[in-house]
Amino acid sequence: MRFLIIRKADAETEAGAAPTPELLEAMGRYIEELVSAGVMRYGEGLRPSSFGARVKFTDGKPVVVDGPFAETKELVAGFSLYEVGSKEEAIEWVKRWPVEDGGGNVEIEIRPLYELEDLASGETLERYARLQDEMAAP
Amino acid sequence: MRVMVLVKASPESEAGVMPKQELLAAMGRYNEELVKAGIMLAGEGLHPTSKGVRVRFSGNQRTVIDGPFPETKELVAGFWLWQVKSMDEAIEWLKRAPFDDDAEVEIRPVFEAEDFGDEFTPELREQEERLRAEVAGRQ
Repeated sequence: MRFLIIRKADAETEAGAAPTPELLEAMGRYIEELVSAGVMRYGEGLRPSSFGARVKFTDGKPVVVDGPFAETKELVAGFSLYEVGSKEEAIEWVKRWPVEDGGGNVEIEIRPLYELEDLASGETLERYARLQDEMAAP
Repeated sequence: MRVMVLVKASPESEAGVMPKQELLAAMGRYNEELVKAGIMLAGEGLHPTSKGVRVRFSGNQRTVIDGPFPETKELVAGFWLWQVKSMDEAIEWLKRAPFDDDAEVEIRPVFEAEDFGDEFTPELREQEERLRAEVAGRQ
């Protein structure tokens, strides 16, 4: 089963605070374990929302709004994709997140992905299956 | 540069309502254009937060909180990861997405190795490259 792991933002990530050497080392070790175990597929940190933008569609018409965005606690600061046997296993891995992150105060959200079988069948399903094969590795 | 494109949730996505066949088909065609343009790196939909959890860290404490979560407009329902020349290119592509109704989508640049200073030591950079290559080799 695949899960998106979301590291929620906080005042420090939104301020673009540089990670400490301790955090970089700890995160490197954690990711190394995740990769060795065959769990982590990819993961990235996101620049603060001041570098981002939103496109709001109303009746299909797009309007662009530049960051930063206000609701810090609900923003995404980073993400990874884990593939594990169960949600419980995903939770166990997330509980081992480096305590150096956020000074020991972080919130991580775990969300199961829709798989092809969950979507409509037939031509749409085949098209998505072909696309998965064609996509470059992140 | 790479960007994460976050599709925000709606009452419908949180209720697990499947998009109409027409929208799924239009999204399929859009995704094919993204792949052909060499932009699409990844793209996934997420089950409603009723199937998700949050893990809150506080010192030694780990608290697991089951979904669903209330702040619908701020939740993530899906995402893409794109390779683009600039934020402007990402915005131009996103404006062409076939959202036929109301939707909010956020674009956030990804940190690249060049963004980090000396704390991201040569050893750490080598480790990161090795791990990326290891995962890419498994695809």
